[in-house]
Amino acid sequence: MTQVALPDPLEEVAPPRGRSGGAAWALWLARRVGLAVLSLWLVSVLVFLATVSLGDPVRAILGRDYESNVARREQLEAQLGVGDSIVTRYFDWLGGLFTGDFGTSLANQQPVWEQISSNVVNTLVLVLLAALVMIPLAFGIAMISAHYRRRRPDTVIQTILLALAGVPEFVTGILLVALFSTTVFHIFPAVTIVSPTGGHPWDDPNGMVLPVATLVLAVTPYVSRIVRATLLEVLDSDYVELARLKGIPERVVMRKHALLNAVVPGIQVIALQLAWLAGGVVLVETLFAYPGVGRQLVDSVRNHDVPMVQALSMIIAAVYIVVNLVADVLSILLTPRARTAISS
Amino acid sequence: MNQPRQNPGFSRRQLLKYSGLGAMAVGGSGFLAACGDDGGDGGPQSAGGTLIHGATGGGTKDTLDPHQPVQAADIARCCNLYEPLLFWNNDYQLEPALAESVEASNDAITWTVTMRPDVTFHNGQPVTANDAWLSIRRVADPKAPLSAGGQLSQIIDFESSKVVDDQTLEIVLNTPYAILDSLLAEYTLGIIPGGEFDPANPVGTGPFKYESFQAGKTSTFKKYTDYWGDAAFLDELVIQDFTDDNAKVNALQAGQIQTVDNLPYNLVETIEGAGGGVLIAEGGQWVPFTMRVDQAPFDDVRVRQAMRLIVDRQAMIDQTLSGYGSLGNDLYAPLDVAYASDLPQREQDIDQAKSLLAAAGQDGLQVELFTGDDISSVAPAAANLFAEQAKEAGVEVKVTKKTPFYDDDYLSYTFAQDFWNTRNYIPQAVVGTFPPEQGGTYNETHWDSAEHRDLVNAAAKELDEAKRNDLLHQAQEIEYEEGGLIIWGFRQQVDAYGANVQGLEPSKYLPLGNYKFSKVSV
Repeated sequence: MTQVALPDPLEEVAPPRGRSGGAAWALWLARRVGLAVLSLWLVSVLVFLATVSLGDPVRAILGRDYESNVARREQLEAQLGVGDSIVTRYFDWLGGLFTGDFGTSLANQQPVWEQISSNVVNTLVLVLLAALVMIPLAFGIAMISAHYRRRRPDTVIQTILLALAGVPEFVTGILLVALFSTTVFHIFPAVTIVSPTGGHPWDDPNGMVLPVATLVLAVTPYVSRIVRATLLEVLDSDYVELARLKGIPERVVMRKHALLNAVVPGIQVIALQLAWLAGGVVLVETLFAYPGVGRQLVDSVRNHDVPMVQALSMIIAAVYIVVNLVADVLSILLTPRARTAISS
Repeated sequence: MNQPRQNPGFSRRQLLKYSGLGAMAVGGSGFLAACGDDGGDGGPQSAGGTLIHGATGGGTKDTLDPHQPVQAADIARCCNLYEPLLFWNNDYQLEPALAESVEASNDAITWTVTMRPDVTFHNGQPVTANDAWLSIRRVADPKAPLSAGGQLSQIIDFESSKVVDDQTLEIVLNTPYAILDSLLAEYTLGIIPGGEFDPANPVGTGPFKYESFQAGKTSTFKKYTDYWGDAAFLDELVIQDFTDDNAKVNALQAGQIQTVDNLPYNLVETIEGAGGGVLIAEGGQWVPFTMRVDQAPFDDVRVRQAMRLIVDRQAMIDQTLSGYGSLGNDLYAPLDVAYASDLPQREQDIDQAKSLLAAAGQDGLQVELFTGDDISSVAPAAANLFAEQAKEAGVEVKVTKKTPFYDDDYLSYTFAQDFWNTRNYIPQAVVGTFPPEQGGTYNETHWDSAEHRDLVNAAAKELDEAKRNDLLHQAQEIEYEEGGLIIWGFRQQVDAYGANVQGLEPSKYLPLGNYKFSKVSV
């Protein structure tokens, strides 16, 4: 966001000239969405170039059969459009994306979308559930921590958070599994087993507990620490001091004056973490045998399955962009100064 | 199973599968231990229930095609959906399955297959000799032979072979071949209606019928009540893919799944401690060192023998297989009745190795050994250990790890490693030691001995088992004295099951008692 010169608060703000506030908002939003689409397009170019420059996938797939199995080689080459120029292939592929056609998997000749759609949903649900637990938890911890700043409860909380942030998420996951499923207690399932007849991982809610808990433990420390730092900054500010002097109860000061002002940096860091989760949960997915996109991406890369890799990369990039767009919009809406700047 | 994972190994891996996976003579103690853990009750097995099997590996490449399974999960599905004409039983002996008998004529040219009567496919259709013939044709299509069809496509005379009636199939060969029956017993030669595989509705004759399938995830099967043999105890079989060993074992410990194949060795005690059972079966997987006999320094037989004397075989097994292995004697096919077990066990002898090297003028020999993770997880460890052991004999081995190992250089390395599953001597000798134009697709050592070849070819035509074994013994002696392979050991197959699982028996052929879940109850 560019720094907008703020109008003097004492000056009468003139009503917007020429166009209404609503139109200004629409224009602003359109610009942001346009930029998001532009980013996505750039990503598509990068993804395509990266997957094309990885050498000849047909040779990689057929290996020693490359010379002998001519029929299969020709079939794969036709499918990949080997022989056409890169530009033609790129626009064929991009055109397919627009019409919802992600192509056909090289590994098993099934449509790509059919194979990845359920995994995409599975991963999104996992991340969403983690977010639903993580956001209130992170803010709660931050508020407690800020309240007791630099006293014993704060020190204890900060030490635990730092330790959790330092441990890789799959280590947390392994510990959780040992504790709750295999070695100590047998409360929760250790892995996700999905019925292949249209079942979902969340059909057995118990099975979601450990994967979600692992993700929550992985992400909460970051968010919580950022929110706490911002809260402390706000709590030191003059207007909070003034509110306290006016005799407003500390709870209200914390909730209404401090938290609302600290929420924006929190949203930004949450967005970054969620976007990271959408593409980076492969370790957690592997540990819990959770049928998500991360594992599928690894499998596809190993199979040299170019159409699958392209589709999955695009989806993960799209999630990054959308989540960050939403975070930006929320940040603006929650920042009165920025809000006024747009509508005027 | 420690299969090469890279794609360049793909077709090779399929071929390996055809030979079967783990195997082995059940070491007496392993067998007893396994039985002892069998829930401890000899009570009758109860019918009903669902068993979830955790299969190792799997991904988008998974297939239900009976004739080209790729990895362990595919094989487990294949073995329960489909059946070949004959079976390898737990002792790696042939048993009748869909065929009542497979008989050769005196010249081993004409083979008569008599079908078992009253067997039906899962769709209710009766199984006829025609289905068997069309299935064999699909596998042995000379233009595109599938995993089990390499050898078959070369020896079957497709013009003269004919379906006599619904019960009888006459297979005519273009060359005498005394062990055709063993080729027909591979699990990759399941009989399907009309020899046509329909991915949307796979139909076989096995004890379980198809219910659902998702590549890389889960597949389900229902008990086939009209099964010709003993019907399954279970009502339902679920096979769940696991790409991660930890997830697989965690699921077993949490009681979510009842069986796993290929338990990592280091977890044996964990599973036993948690009340589960561990199934240990003697196996025939091997990871040899391969020396090219047509290139210096290994073109001198004294150098080859010196290298064989350098290896401390027991140390190899202890360190790279955690002790779960049996000694190798530079000969393959340990499960074959013709295996030359009377040849003296070769042991580490540094002094003799040194003197052989000196005689060959190769003191202070330096060689480069190629290895790779895609051979097997065992391979790099074994290569490094060999380099250590070679130092004692003054041989400097430089270990080079290639990624991938199975690329264009495969079969040209002077000194490298490879991975093989169990198979009997004749097919293994053909594929591994014959020149490429005579069927030696994977002749890593470029071994080219007319004498050895004549013995193997003569044995392949010899119907008399005693005479055949004698010929094969002579062939093995040649390899024992001059061959280019260092075969230091064979891997044992280790699988695991939950406390309530009954009916599993170790098999020398495939993991988990040939994946025969029809004999298992929960």
